[in-house]
Amino acid sequence: MDTQWPRYMVFQQEGPDQPMVHNGTVHAPDAELAMLNARDVFVRRPEAVQLWVVLADVIFTQTQEELEKAEPVDQSTSQLVDYYVFGKFTQQAQCRHIGQVQASSPQVAVAAAIATFADKQPLWWWVFPASTVLKNESSESDPMFSAARYKTFKDQAEYPVITMMRELRAKANHKDTENTK
Amino acid sequence: MYGADVEQIAIQLNEDPQKLADFEARIARGEKIEPGDWMPAEYRRQLIRMISQHAHSEVVGMLPEGAWITRAPSLRRKLILLAKVQDEAGHGQYLYHAAETLGATREEMLDALLDGKAKYSSIFNYHTTSWADNGAIGWLVDGAAILNQTMLARCSYGPYSRAMVRICMEENFHRKQGQEMIILYSQGTPIQRAMVQDAITRWWWPTLMMFGPHDADSPNSGVLIRWGIKTRTNDELRQEFINQLVPDLQACGIVLPDPNLHYDEASGNWRTGPIDWDEFWSVLKGNGPANAERMAARRLAHADGAWVREAAAAYAAKNQQQVN
Repeated sequence: MDTQWPRYMVFQQEGPDQPMVHNGTVHAPDAELAMLNARDVFVRRPEAVQLWVVLADVIFTQTQEELEKAEPVDQSTSQLVDYYVFGKFTQQAQCRHIGQVQASSPQVAVAAAIATFADKQPLWWWVFPASTVLKNESSESDPMFSAARYKTFKDQAEYPVITMMRELRAKANHKDTENTK
Repeated sequence: MYGADVEQIAIQLNEDPQKLADFEARIARGEKIEPGDWMPAEYRRQLIRMISQHAHSEVVGMLPEGAWITRAPSLRRKLILLAKVQDEAGHGQYLYHAAETLGATREEMLDALLDGKAKYSSIFNYHTTSWADNGAIGWLVDGAAILNQTMLARCSYGPYSRAMVRICMEENFHRKQGQEMIILYSQGTPIQRAMVQDAITRWWWPTLMMFGPHDADSPNSGVLIRWGIKTRTNDELRQEFINQLVPDLQACGIVLPDPNLHYDEASGNWRTGPIDWDEFWSVLKGNGPANAERMAARRLAHADGAWVREAAAAYAAKNQQQVN
Protein backbone atom coordinates (compact mmCIF):
# COMPACT_ATOMS: atom_id res chain seq x y z
CA MET A 1 0.00 0.00 0.00
CA ASP A 2 1.28 3.46 -0.86
CA THR A 3 1.03 5.48 2.34
CA GLN A 4 3.99 7.76 1.75
CA TRP A 5 3.83 11.53 1.67
CA PRO A 6 3.59 13.17 -1.75
CA ARG A 7 6.71 14.04 -3.73
CA TYR A 8 7.70 17.65 -4.23
CA MET A 9 10.07 18.67 -6.98
CA VAL A 10 12.81 21.00 -5.82
CA PHE A 11 14.22 23.86 -7.93
CA GLN A 12 17.22 25.85 -6.84
CA GLN A 13 18.84 29.06 -8.01
CA GLU A 14 22.55 29.03 -7.31
CA GLY A 15 23.32 32.71 -7.87
CA PRO A 16 21.49 35.97 -8.67
CA ASP A 17 22.30 35.69 -12.39
CA GLN A 18 21.62 31.96 -12.62
CA PRO A 19 18.32 30.37 -13.71
CA MET A 20 16.18 28.18 -11.45
CA VAL A 21 17.35 24.60 -11.98
CA HIS A 22 15.70 21.32 -11.05
CA ASN A 23 17.53 19.33 -8.40
CA GLY A 24 15.53 16.38 -7.21
CA THR A 25 12.63 15.63 -4.94
CA VAL A 26 11.68 15.47 -1.29
CA HIS A 27 8.67 13.87 0.36
CA ALA A 28 6.63 15.97 2.77
CA PRO A 29 3.08 16.26 4.11
CA ASP A 30 2.77 19.81 2.72
CA ALA A 31 4.66 22.42 0.72
CA GLU A 32 5.92 24.32 3.76
CA LEU A 33 7.59 21.22 5.21
CA ALA A 34 8.79 20.27 1.73
CA MET A 35 10.60 23.62 1.66
CA LEU A 36 12.35 22.83 4.97
CA ASN A 37 13.34 19.34 3.76
CA ALA A 38 14.56 20.77 0.47
CA ARG A 39 16.78 23.21 2.31
CA ASP A 40 18.30 20.39 4.41
CA VAL A 41 18.84 18.03 1.49
CA PHE A 42 19.98 20.42 -1.24
CA VAL A 43 21.56 23.43 0.43
CA ARG A 44 24.42 21.77 2.28
CA ARG A 45 26.78 23.64 -0.04
CA PRO A 46 26.95 27.44 -0.35
CA GLU A 47 25.19 27.78 -3.63
CA ALA A 48 21.56 28.83 -3.20
CA VAL A 49 19.77 32.15 -3.37
CA GLN A 50 16.28 30.80 -4.00
CA LEU A 51 14.34 27.55 -3.58
CA TRP A 52 11.03 26.48 -5.11
CA VAL A 53 8.98 23.39 -4.31
CA VAL A 54 6.18 22.07 -6.53
CA LEU A 55 4.08 18.91 -6.19
CA ALA A 56 5.65 16.41 -8.61
CA ASP A 57 2.20 15.41 -9.89
CA VAL A 58 1.42 18.86 -11.27
CA ILE A 59 4.53 18.98 -13.46
CA PHE A 60 3.78 18.01 -17.06
CA THR A 61 6.78 16.86 -19.08
CA GLN A 62 7.36 15.91 -22.70
CA THR A 63 10.53 14.48 -24.17
CA GLN A 64 11.30 14.79 -27.90
CA GLU A 65 10.22 11.17 -28.25
CA GLU A 66 6.87 11.88 -26.59
CA LEU A 67 6.34 15.05 -28.65
CA GLU A 68 6.73 13.10 -31.89
CA LYS A 69 3.93 10.77 -30.83
CA ALA A 70 1.72 13.48 -29.27
CA GLU A 71 -1.72 14.30 -30.67
CA PRO A 72 -2.31 17.91 -31.83
CA VAL A 73 -3.70 19.97 -28.95
CA ASP A 74 -6.87 22.04 -28.94
CA GLN A 75 -5.68 25.65 -28.74
CA SER A 76 -8.62 26.78 -26.65
CA THR A 77 -8.20 30.26 -25.21
CA SER A 78 -10.60 29.82 -22.30
CA GLN A 79 -9.38 30.05 -18.71
CA LEU A 80 -5.77 30.95 -19.38
CA VAL A 81 -3.38 30.58 -16.46
CA ASP A 82 0.34 31.29 -16.15
CA TYR A 83 2.67 28.34 -16.63
CA TYR A 84 6.37 28.22 -15.84
CA VAL A 85 8.38 26.64 -18.64
CA PHE A 86 11.54 24.63 -18.02
CA GLY A 87 13.76 22.73 -20.45
CA LYS A 88 16.76 20.41 -20.63
CA PHE A 89 19.28 21.71 -23.14
CA THR A 90 22.14 19.24 -23.18
CA GLN A 91 22.08 15.51 -22.58
CA GLN A 92 23.81 15.85 -19.22
CA ALA A 93 21.97 18.93 -17.95
CA GLN A 94 19.14 19.36 -15.46
CA CYS A 95 15.95 21.13 -16.55
CA ARG A 96 16.24 24.88 -16.14
CA HIS A 97 13.90 27.82 -16.27
CA ILE A 98 13.13 29.23 -19.74
CA GLY A 99 10.21 31.57 -19.18
CA GLN A 100 6.47 31.80 -18.75
CA VAL A 101 3.43 31.28 -21.00
CA GLN A 102 -0.34 31.50 -20.62
CA ALA A 103 -2.33 28.41 -21.47
CA SER A 104 -5.54 26.52 -20.70
CA SER A 105 -3.87 23.12 -20.11
CA PRO A 106 -0.37 21.68 -19.70
CA GLN A 107 -0.43 20.27 -23.26
CA VAL A 108 -1.34 23.70 -24.60
CA ALA A 109 1.39 25.23 -22.43
CA VAL A 110 4.03 23.03 -24.12
CA ALA A 111 2.67 23.98 -27.56
CA ALA A 112 2.71 27.66 -26.52
CA ALA A 113 6.24 27.31 -25.18
CA ILE A 114 7.42 25.78 -28.47
CA ALA A 115 5.88 28.74 -30.32
CA THR A 116 7.02 31.43 -27.85
CA PHE A 117 10.57 30.19 -27.37
CA ALA A 118 11.17 29.10 -30.95
CA ASP A 119 14.89 29.84 -30.66
CA LYS A 120 15.18 27.40 -27.73
CA GLN A 121 14.93 23.75 -28.58
CA PRO A 122 15.20 21.78 -25.37
CA LEU A 123 15.38 18.00 -25.40
CA TRP A 124 12.76 17.86 -22.68
CA TRP A 125 9.98 20.31 -21.80
CA TRP A 126 8.56 20.76 -18.30
CA VAL A 127 5.57 23.01 -17.53
CA PHE A 128 3.56 23.68 -14.40
CA PRO A 129 1.06 26.35 -13.29
CA ALA A 130 2.82 29.26 -11.58
CA SER A 131 0.17 29.21 -8.85
CA THR A 132 1.30 25.74 -7.69
CA VAL A 133 4.82 26.83 -6.72
CA LEU A 134 5.89 27.62 -3.17
CA LYS A 135 8.90 29.97 -3.20
CA ASN A 136 10.98 30.66 -0.14
CA GLU A 137 10.28 34.08 1.45
CA SER A 138 13.01 36.42 0.26
CA SER A 139 13.25 37.82 3.80
CA GLU A 140 14.23 34.32 4.94
CA SER A 141 16.89 33.74 2.30
CA ASP A 142 19.71 34.75 4.56
CA PRO A 143 18.87 32.52 7.55
CA MET A 144 18.08 29.66 5.15
CA PHE A 145 21.15 29.79 2.97
CA SER A 146 23.95 31.64 4.73
CA ALA A 147 24.72 28.89 7.26
CA ALA A 148 26.34 26.77 4.54
CA ARG A 149 28.28 29.67 3.04
CA TYR A 150 31.16 29.80 5.52
CA LYS A 151 31.70 26.05 5.88
CA THR A 152 34.72 26.08 3.62
CA PHE A 153 35.93 22.77 5.06
CA LYS A 154 33.35 21.13 2.77
CA ASP A 155 35.36 22.29 -0.22
CA GLN A 156 37.85 19.76 -1.58
CA ALA A 157 40.24 22.63 -2.37
CA GLU A 158 40.79 22.99 1.40
CA TYR A 159 42.85 19.79 1.35
CA PRO A 160 46.15 20.23 -0.53
CA VAL A 161 46.82 16.49 -0.70
CA ILE A 162 48.65 16.59 -4.04
CA THR A 163 51.19 19.06 -2.64
CA MET A 164 51.43 17.02 0.58
CA MET A 165 52.20 13.85 -1.39
CA ARG A 166 54.83 15.68 -3.47
CA GLU A 167 56.55 16.95 -0.32
CA LEU A 168 56.42 13.49 1.22
CA ARG A 169 58.13 11.98 -1.83
CA ALA A 170 60.73 14.76 -1.94
CA LYS A 171 61.55 14.08 1.71
CA ALA A 172 61.87 10.33 1.06
CA ASN A 173 64.16 10.93 -1.96
CA HIS A 174 66.30 13.29 0.10
CA LYS A 175 66.69 10.60 2.79
CA ASP A 176 67.70 8.03 0.15
CA THR A 177 70.37 10.37 -1.19
CA GLU A 178 71.70 11.01 2.35
CA ASN A 179 71.91 7.27 3.02
CA THR A 180 73.94 6.53 -0.11
CA LYS A 181 76.53 9.22 0.72
CA MET B 1 16.80 -2.03 -39.52
CA TYR B 2 18.52 -3.86 -36.74
CA GLY B 3 21.15 -6.53 -36.38
CA ALA B 4 20.71 -10.20 -35.57
CA ASP B 5 21.98 -9.73 -32.02
CA VAL B 6 19.28 -7.12 -31.31
CA GLU B 7 16.67 -9.51 -32.68
CA GLN B 8 17.95 -12.27 -30.41
CA ILE B 9 17.96 -10.07 -27.30
CA ALA B 10 14.51 -8.74 -28.15
CA ILE B 11 13.17 -12.29 -28.28
CA GLN B 12 14.91 -13.20 -25.02
CA LEU B 13 13.52 -10.16 -23.23
CA ASN B 14 10.15 -10.24 -24.99
CA GLU B 15 10.63 -6.70 -26.34
CA ASP B 16 9.73 -5.14 -29.71
CA PRO B 17 12.95 -5.45 -31.80
CA GLN B 18 12.46 -2.11 -33.58
CA LYS B 19 11.94 -0.24 -30.30
CA LEU B 20 14.93 -1.99 -28.79
CA ALA B 21 17.07 -1.10 -31.82
CA ASP B 22 15.99 2.57 -31.63
CA PHE B 23 16.72 2.61 -27.90
CA GLU B 24 20.18 1.15 -28.40
CA ALA B 25 20.86 3.62 -31.22
CA ARG B 26 20.01 6.51 -28.88
CA ILE B 27 22.48 5.19 -26.32
CA ALA B 28 25.11 4.74 -29.04
CA ARG B 29 24.63 8.42 -29.99
CA GLY B 30 25.34 9.40 -26.36
CA GLU B 31 21.78 10.48 -25.62
CA LYS B 32 20.44 10.24 -22.09
CA ILE B 33 17.29 8.20 -21.54
CA GLU B 34 14.76 10.24 -19.54
CA PRO B 35 11.83 8.98 -17.44
CA GLY B 36 9.16 9.47 -20.14
CA ASP B 37 11.14 7.65 -22.83
CA TRP B 38 10.65 4.06 -23.95
CA MET B 39 13.05 1.64 -22.30
CA PRO B 40 13.25 -2.16 -22.06
CA ALA B 41 11.71 -3.57 -18.86
CA GLU B 42 15.09 -5.16 -18.09
CA TYR B 43 16.84 -1.75 -18.29
CA ARG B 44 14.33 -0.36 -15.79
CA ARG B 45 14.70 -3.40 -13.51
CA GLN B 46 18.50 -3.29 -13.51
CA LEU B 47 18.54 0.45 -12.82
CA ILE B 48 16.08 0.18 -9.92
CA ARG B 49 18.19 -2.64 -8.50
CA MET B 50 21.45 -0.71 -8.80
CA ILE B 51 20.20 2.73 -7.77
CA SER B 52 18.27 1.49 -4.74
CA GLN B 53 21.26 -0.57 -3.56
CA HIS B 54 23.41 2.50 -4.06
CA ALA B 55 20.94 4.64 -2.05
CA HIS B 56 20.87 2.08 0.77
CA SER B 57 24.67 2.07 0.82
CA GLU B 58 24.72 5.83 1.36
CA VAL B 59 22.19 5.55 4.19
CA VAL B 60 23.91 2.63 5.95
CA GLY B 61 27.24 4.29 5.15
CA MET B 62 26.45 6.99 7.71
CA LEU B 63 26.73 4.48 10.55
CA PRO B 64 30.41 3.39 10.70
CA GLU B 65 31.65 6.98 10.78
CA GLY B 66 28.67 8.46 12.61
CA ALA B 67 29.75 6.43 15.62
CA TRP B 68 32.90 8.61 15.85
CA ILE B 69 31.30 12.09 15.75
CA THR B 70 31.23 12.38 19.54
CA ARG B 71 34.83 11.19 19.79
CA ALA B 72 36.51 13.32 17.11
CA PRO B 73 39.87 14.57 18.41
CA SER B 74 39.41 18.25 17.46
CA LEU B 75 36.65 20.68 16.60
CA ARG B 76 37.87 20.82 13.00
CA ARG B 77 37.71 17.03 12.64
CA LYS B 78 34.28 16.97 14.26
CA LEU B 79 32.92 19.59 11.83
CA ILE B 80 34.36 17.67 8.89
CA LEU B 81 32.89 14.38 10.06
CA LEU B 82 29.48 15.89 10.77
CA ALA B 83 29.39 17.45 7.29
CA LYS B 84 30.51 14.19 5.70
CA VAL B 85 27.85 12.07 7.41
CA GLN B 86 25.24 14.72 6.53
CA ASP B 87 26.39 14.52 2.90
CA GLU B 88 25.87 10.74 2.88
CA ALA B 89 22.28 11.26 4.06
CA GLY B 90 21.78 13.73 1.22
CA HIS B 91 23.29 11.33 -1.32
CA GLY B 92 20.82 8.67 -0.20
CA GLN B 93 18.02 11.16 -0.87
CA TYR B 94 19.34 12.08 -4.37
CA LEU B 95 19.52 8.40 -5.26
CA TYR B 96 16.09 7.42 -3.93
CA HIS B 97 14.79 10.26 -6.09
CA ALA B 98 16.54 8.83 -9.16
CA ALA B 99 15.03 5.38 -8.50
CA GLU B 100 11.58 6.93 -8.03
CA THR B 101 11.70 8.33 -11.57
CA LEU B 102 11.66 4.67 -12.71
CA GLY B 103 8.47 3.86 -10.82
CA ALA B 104 9.91 2.45 -7.57
CA THR B 105 8.41 4.12 -4.49
CA ARG B 106 10.58 5.45 -1.70
CA GLU B 107 8.39 3.64 0.79
CA GLU B 108 8.93 0.20 -0.76
CA MET B 109 12.68 0.83 -1.01
CA LEU B 110 12.92 1.89 2.65
CA ASP B 111 10.76 -1.06 3.72
CA ALA B 112 13.03 -3.44 1.80
CA LEU B 113 16.05 -2.03 3.63
CA LEU B 114 14.42 -2.18 7.07
CA ASP B 115 13.11 -5.71 6.43
CA GLY B 116 16.65 -6.83 5.62
CA LYS B 117 15.66 -7.76 2.04
CA ALA B 118 17.77 -5.12 0.30
CA LYS B 119 21.47 -5.32 -0.45
CA TYR B 120 23.92 -2.52 0.26
CA SER B 121 27.68 -2.25 -0.11
CA SER B 122 29.56 -4.97 1.77
CA ILE B 123 32.10 -2.43 3.05
CA PHE B 124 29.78 -0.93 5.67
CA ASN B 125 29.53 -4.24 7.53
CA TYR B 126 33.00 -3.80 9.01
CA HIS B 127 33.60 -2.12 12.36
CA THR B 128 35.37 1.20 12.81
CA THR B 129 37.59 0.30 15.75
CA SER B 130 39.92 3.33 15.83
CA TRP B 131 39.80 7.01 14.92
CA ALA B 132 42.16 6.46 11.98
CA ASP B 133 39.46 4.27 10.37
CA ASN B 134 37.70 7.50 9.43
CA GLY B 135 40.77 8.49 7.43
CA ALA B 136 40.98 5.05 5.82
CA ILE B 137 37.30 5.17 4.90
CA GLY B 138 37.73 8.61 3.34
CA TRP B 139 40.83 7.84 1.30
CA LEU B 140 40.22 4.19 0.43
CA VAL B 141 36.46 3.56 0.58
CA ASP B 142 35.32 6.95 -0.73
CA GLY B 143 38.19 6.93 -3.23
CA ALA B 144 36.97 3.57 -4.56
CA ALA B 145 33.38 4.84 -4.61
CA ILE B 146 34.42 7.93 -6.61
CA LEU B 147 35.98 5.78 -9.36
CA ASN B 148 32.74 3.84 -9.68
CA GLN B 149 30.61 6.97 -9.47
CA THR B 150 32.67 8.90 -12.02
CA MET B 151 31.87 6.09 -14.43
CA LEU B 152 28.18 6.17 -13.46
CA ALA B 153 28.07 9.95 -13.99
CA ARG B 154 28.40 9.07 -17.70
CA CYS B 155 25.65 6.43 -17.57
CA SER B 156 22.81 6.45 -20.08
CA TYR B 157 19.98 7.13 -17.63
CA GLY B 158 19.60 10.91 -17.14
CA PRO B 159 18.44 11.12 -13.49
CA TYR B 160 21.08 8.64 -12.26
CA SER B 161 23.85 10.34 -14.19
CA ARG B 162 22.91 13.78 -12.85
CA ALA B 163 22.72 12.52 -9.25
CA MET B 164 26.23 11.10 -9.71
CA VAL B 165 27.71 14.38 -10.96
CA ARG B 166 26.58 16.08 -7.79
CA ILE B 167 27.64 13.22 -5.54
CA CYS B 168 31.14 12.97 -7.07
CA MET B 169 31.73 16.65 -6.43
CA GLU B 170 30.89 16.22 -2.75
CA GLU B 171 32.69 12.88 -2.40
CA ASN B 172 35.94 14.51 -3.45
CA PHE B 173 35.87 16.45 -0.19
CA HIS B 174 35.33 13.12 1.64
CA ARG B 175 38.27 11.47 -0.05
CA LYS B 176 40.67 14.36 0.39
CA GLN B 177 39.94 14.95 4.08
CA GLY B 178 40.66 11.24 4.63
CA GLN B 179 43.86 11.33 2.62
CA GLU B 180 45.00 14.44 4.48
CA MET B 181 44.36 12.69 7.81
CA ILE B 182 46.31 9.56 6.80
CA ILE B 183 49.26 11.56 5.43
CA LEU B 184 49.50 13.66 8.60
CA TYR B 185 49.24 10.72 11.00
CA SER B 186 51.66 8.65 8.92
CA GLN B 187 54.25 11.37 9.60
CA GLY B 188 53.18 11.81 13.23
CA THR B 189 53.98 10.17 16.55
CA PRO B 190 54.70 6.42 16.81
CA ILE B 191 51.17 5.90 18.19
CA GLN B 192 49.61 7.81 15.28
CA ARG B 193 51.71 5.86 12.78
CA ALA B 194 50.70 2.55 14.33
CA MET B 195 47.03 3.61 14.32
CA VAL B 196 47.18 4.46 10.61
CA GLN B 197 49.00 1.22 9.74
CA ASP B 198 46.39 -0.81 11.63
CA ALA B 199 43.50 1.00 9.91
CA ILE B 200 44.88 0.48 6.39
CA THR B 201 45.70 -3.15 7.17
CA ARG B 202 42.07 -3.81 8.06
CA TRP B 203 40.42 -1.73 5.28
CA TRP B 204 42.65 -2.63 2.31
CA TRP B 205 41.12 -5.96 1.30
CA PRO B 206 37.47 -5.07 2.03
CA THR B 207 37.96 -1.96 -0.16
CA LEU B 208 39.24 -4.06 -3.08
CA MET B 209 36.13 -6.26 -2.69
CA MET B 210 33.88 -3.18 -3.03
CA PHE B 211 34.35 -3.20 -6.81
CA GLY B 212 32.46 -6.48 -6.91
CA PRO B 213 33.29 -9.95 -8.26
CA HIS B 214 35.81 -10.52 -11.05
CA ASP B 215 34.39 -9.83 -14.51
CA ALA B 216 34.07 -13.56 -15.25
CA ASP B 217 31.83 -13.96 -12.17
CA SER B 218 29.76 -10.80 -12.61
CA PRO B 219 26.39 -11.94 -14.00
CA ASN B 220 24.87 -8.49 -14.71
CA SER B 221 27.88 -6.85 -16.37
CA GLY B 222 27.06 -7.77 -19.99
CA VAL B 223 23.70 -6.07 -20.24
CA LEU B 224 24.79 -3.16 -18.03
CA ILE B 225 27.66 -2.37 -20.38
CA ARG B 226 25.60 -2.96 -23.53
CA TRP B 227 23.07 -0.33 -22.40
CA GLY B 228 25.60 2.18 -21.17
CA ILE B 229 24.70 1.88 -17.50
CA LYS B 230 28.25 0.81 -16.78
CA THR B 231 31.01 1.76 -19.18
CA ARG B 232 33.87 -0.06 -17.42
CA THR B 233 34.15 -3.46 -15.76
CA ASN B 234 34.70 -4.26 -12.08
CA ASP B 235 38.25 -5.46 -12.73
CA GLU B 236 39.20 -2.37 -14.78
CA LEU B 237 38.04 -0.06 -12.00
CA ARG B 238 39.73 -2.16 -9.30
CA GLN B 239 43.03 -2.13 -11.20
CA GLU B 240 42.92 1.64 -11.62
CA PHE B 241 42.27 2.03 -7.90
CA ILE B 242 45.19 -0.26 -6.98
CA ASN B 243 47.53 1.61 -9.33
CA GLN B 244 46.52 4.95 -7.81
CA LEU B 245 46.67 3.92 -4.17
CA VAL B 246 49.68 1.61 -3.82
CA PRO B 247 52.42 4.17 -4.60
CA ASP B 248 50.76 6.86 -2.44
CA LEU B 249 50.26 4.58 0.57
CA GLN B 250 53.83 3.30 0.24
CA ALA B 251 55.10 6.88 0.11
CA CYS B 252 53.39 7.38 3.47
CA GLY B 253 55.47 4.49 4.81
CA ILE B 254 52.44 2.23 5.10
CA VAL B 255 52.88 -1.50 4.47
CA LEU B 256 49.99 -3.15 2.63
CA PRO B 257 48.80 -6.50 4.00
CA ASP B 258 49.62 -8.47 0.86
CA PRO B 259 52.90 -10.43 0.53
CA ASN B 260 52.15 -11.00 -3.16
CA LEU B 261 51.79 -7.33 -4.04
CA HIS B 262 54.23 -6.44 -6.82
CA TYR B 263 54.72 -4.10 -9.74
CA ASP B 264 54.34 -5.73 -13.14
CA GLU B 265 56.75 -3.91 -15.46
CA ALA B 266 55.27 -5.41 -18.62
CA SER B 267 51.73 -4.12 -18.07
CA GLY B 268 52.55 -1.15 -15.83
CA ASN B 269 50.11 -2.46 -13.23
CA TRP B 270 50.41 -3.25 -9.55
CA ARG B 271 49.34 -6.87 -9.01
CA THR B 272 47.76 -8.07 -5.77
CA GLY B 273 47.48 -11.55 -4.36
CA PRO B 274 44.11 -13.38 -4.60
CA ILE B 275 41.07 -11.70 -3.07
CA ASP B 276 39.19 -13.75 -0.47
CA TRP B 277 35.86 -13.99 -2.26
CA ASP B 278 34.42 -16.31 0.40
CA GLU B 279 34.66 -13.39 2.81
CA PHE B 280 32.96 -11.08 0.28
CA TRP B 281 30.01 -13.42 -0.32
CA SER B 282 29.67 -14.16 3.38
CA VAL B 283 29.48 -10.43 4.23
CA LEU B 284 27.03 -9.84 1.38
CA LYS B 285 24.81 -12.66 2.65
CA GLY B 286 24.58 -10.96 6.03
CA ASN B 287 27.34 -12.70 7.97
CA GLY B 288 29.89 -9.88 8.09
CA PRO B 289 31.26 -8.55 11.38
CA ALA B 290 28.68 -5.76 11.72
CA ASN B 291 25.66 -6.68 9.51
CA ALA B 292 23.28 -7.31 12.41
CA GLU B 293 24.46 -4.20 14.24
CA ARG B 294 24.02 -1.97 11.18
CA MET B 295 20.47 -3.19 10.55
CA ALA B 296 19.58 -2.81 14.22
CA ALA B 297 20.92 0.77 14.24
CA ARG B 298 19.01 1.58 11.05
CA ARG B 299 15.72 0.20 12.44
CA LEU B 300 16.22 2.03 15.73
CA ALA B 301 16.87 5.32 13.89
CA HIS B 302 13.68 4.80 11.86
CA ALA B 303 11.64 3.99 14.98
CA ASP B 304 13.16 6.93 16.89
CA GLY B 305 12.15 9.24 14.05
CA ALA B 306 8.48 8.21 14.22
CA TRP B 307 7.50 11.16 16.43
CA VAL B 308 9.03 13.60 13.93
CA ARG B 309 6.97 12.11 11.10
CA GLU B 310 3.84 12.15 13.26
CA ALA B 311 4.44 15.77 14.29
CA ALA B 312 5.01 16.85 10.67
CA ALA B 313 1.81 15.13 9.56
CA ALA B 314 -0.17 16.68 12.43
CA TYR B 315 1.23 20.14 11.61
CA ALA B 316 0.30 19.80 7.95
CA ALA B 317 -3.18 18.55 8.89
CA LYS B 318 -3.72 21.51 11.23
CA ASN B 319 -2.68 24.00 8.54
CA GLN B 320 -4.96 22.28 6.04
CA GLN B 321 -7.90 22.59 8.47
CA GLN B 322 -7.27 26.30 8.92
CA VAL B 323 -7.30 26.79 5.14
CA ASN B 324 -10.62 24.93 4.89
